[in-house]
Amino acid sequence: MSDRTQLWRMAPTELAPHEDALTRFQAELERAGGSSVSVGPGELVGEITATLAAAGAHRIALTADLGDARPVIAQALEIARYDVVDYDAIADDRAAVRDLDATVTGCLAAVAATGSIVTGATGAGRAGALVAPTHVCVVETRRLVDGLASLMRLAPRLGAGSMMALQTGPSRTADIEKTLIVGVHGPKRVHVVLLDGVLAD
Amino acid sequence: MSEDPLTSSTFAERARVQLAKPFLREAVPRATDIAVRDLRERFAGHDYDGLRELGREIRARTMADLEDALATLTDALVANGIHVHHAADAAAAREHIRRICRESDATRVVKVKSMATEEIALNPALVADGLEVTETDLGEYVVQLDGDRPSHIIAPIIHKTRAEVRETLSRVAGRELPDDASELTDFARERLRDAFMDADVGISGANFGVAETGTIVLVTNEGNGRMCTSMPRIHIALMGIERVIPTLEDLSVMLPLITGAGTGQLITSYVSMLSGPRGEGEPDGPEAMHVVLLDNGRRALLGTEYQEVLHCIRCGACQNVCPVYRQVGGHAYGWVYGGPIGAVLTPLFLGTEAGGELPQASSLCGACDDICPVKIPLHDLLLQLRRTRVDDGAAPWRERLAAELWAWAWSSPRRYRVVTRIGGGVVRVMAAAGLMSSLGPLGRWARGRTIPTPARRPFHSRGERDV
Ligand code: SF4
Repeated sequence: MSDRTQLWRMAPTELAPHEDALTRFQAELERAGGSSVSVGPGELVGEITATLAAAGAHRIALTADLGDARPVIAQALEIARYDVVDYDAIADDRAAVRDLDATVTGCLAAVAATGSIVTGATGAGRAGALVAPTHVCVVETRRLVDGLASLMRLAPRLGAGSMMALQTGPSRTADIEKTLIVGVHGPKRVHVVLLDGVLAD
Repeated sequence: MSEDPLTSSTFAERARVQLAKPFLREAVPRATDIAVRDLRERFAGHDYDGLRELGREIRARTMADLEDALATLTDALVANGIHVHHAADAAAAREHIRRICRESDATRVVKVKSMATEEIALNPALVADGLEVTETDLGEYVVQLDGDRPSHIIAPIIHKTRAEVRETLSRVAGRELPDDASELTDFARERLRDAFMDADVGISGANFGVAETGTIVLVTNEGNGRMCTSMPRIHIALMGIERVIPTLEDLSVMLPLITGAGTGQLITSYVSMLSGPRGEGEPDGPEAMHVVLLDNGRRALLGTEYQEVLHCIRCGACQNVCPVYRQVGGHAYGWVYGGPIGAVLTPLFLGTEAGGELPQASSLCGACDDICPVKIPLHDLLLQLRRTRVDDGAAPWRERLAAELWAWAWSSPRRYRVVTRIGGGVVRVMAAAGLMSSLGPLGRWARGRTIPTPARRPFHSRGERDV
């Protein structure tokens, strides 16, 4: 008879005891085709701007789960001459949503063992992290959980609203002759900024 | 479906058509090998068998009192503001979905790949109602444009070459698209983006329904599941009643099983957990969410010797390792589910009249049992179905003899190995010599069962029981 407390021995979606969460998260995300970098609070805005510049993005939407950091990031991006909107202000406008080059979101949690970020309908919205070719996600390191089991235990208290989504790296398909193609209906580029600190609140 | 391949042809005839396609015989084993290899790689150092046992326990516990689990699920869905509909059969399910579309004045529908909607033949019914229906999974989109059928549970166009996909999409584009998988995907992405933005209704299946929280779980890689449940005004999820799992904690066991066995990934790119329509203060999402709970022959299996087939989570792994499926592909099975799971489900759902010969389309090598993430004893079920058919007297004498031979051989693994090795060797030599069709009645038997030429070593002798 199997024992669920030993789940990590069976499921690669759990963290082994003493395994470093941050290291594992970064490795798994990279394996899934995403990228990440750790920054301190003072480097956050610079990192976001640099990522958007490298992606050649111009029209950017910011989602509500960035909290009090949202106006700060918006201001910095506007100074850098980006076209910046709040996702919740344009979500119902299909043309505006289609035009987005990138979205910047926060998250509810991140799963170390799988390299997944977790967003909710209340914050990033259902599609805020999905609709643009580039997605930049700010993850406060305190939001890292070990594995899927911890996430599921925590889920009812995350306040995700009507949808909670795990996303792991970019959108992908292997439908055509098993060739891996990145960027189908979701983003081609997923960059996670791991913030050693908290988004201002 | 206008013409039903199941009743208008035999497995042997369909298999022969499929075997004449050289790409299929090369591509299906190649693609399925990748999935099996990745599964093994991702579970290296982990106890896959232990996890399968946990998965089996969860499924068995749920099926032991399915009505209770469904009652809990229904209450929780309703508490989340979701409309719940019960469908006894395919016609009832189609009717619910058609009515919801009608009542919401829908004209455009986008779909997430779903075997359940294939099972109830939903698309033709919606199209007949004048709705514009678009499949949004890349593979399903191509299948739809071609008027084809998916041939694998999770890799619908495993049977198509890139050149064929290019031809299909070029026709839609009205120009020659480049012969490049990435550019073909980009083209489809743009087309489908229009469809998402304009759609009134999004229709999905459900990989799982979590009873305690009233949550529908969708597992996808492309992101179309997320789009279909974000953009349209209405979301309808069609869920087989057996897809219920009791708790979120159970999901942390079932998720690595379905994605591992299905694609060899640790987790798919997207896992959506949907617990209602757009809520207060949320920026996007549907105004209304419906869940249609589909019976269609499932309840009738409860309490029978076939109950365990209800544990199936439609991961496709048994297809990947099946020596018969790997050669003949999914279309030879004639209905929506191919491979070992299809050979069991088809006669159980449609009756032995239509699908009764499918359990013969197996070498009973047991590879499917060894990989199935919820440990369904597929070969036992196949054998049982053969026995039932023979008892019913529905099988012709030749087939009856064959079934008995198989049953005898299977009664001891050692005996079985000897028989398949000898039998396989004989057939292989004969196939090479082009003698198969000169066998008379026995040739027909051989064609139906062992064509294509058996693998040099049956799967069970390759020492791969421990994925
Ligand atoms: S029978 Fe098992 S291996 Fe086959 S599709 Fe179902 S769950 Fe997967």
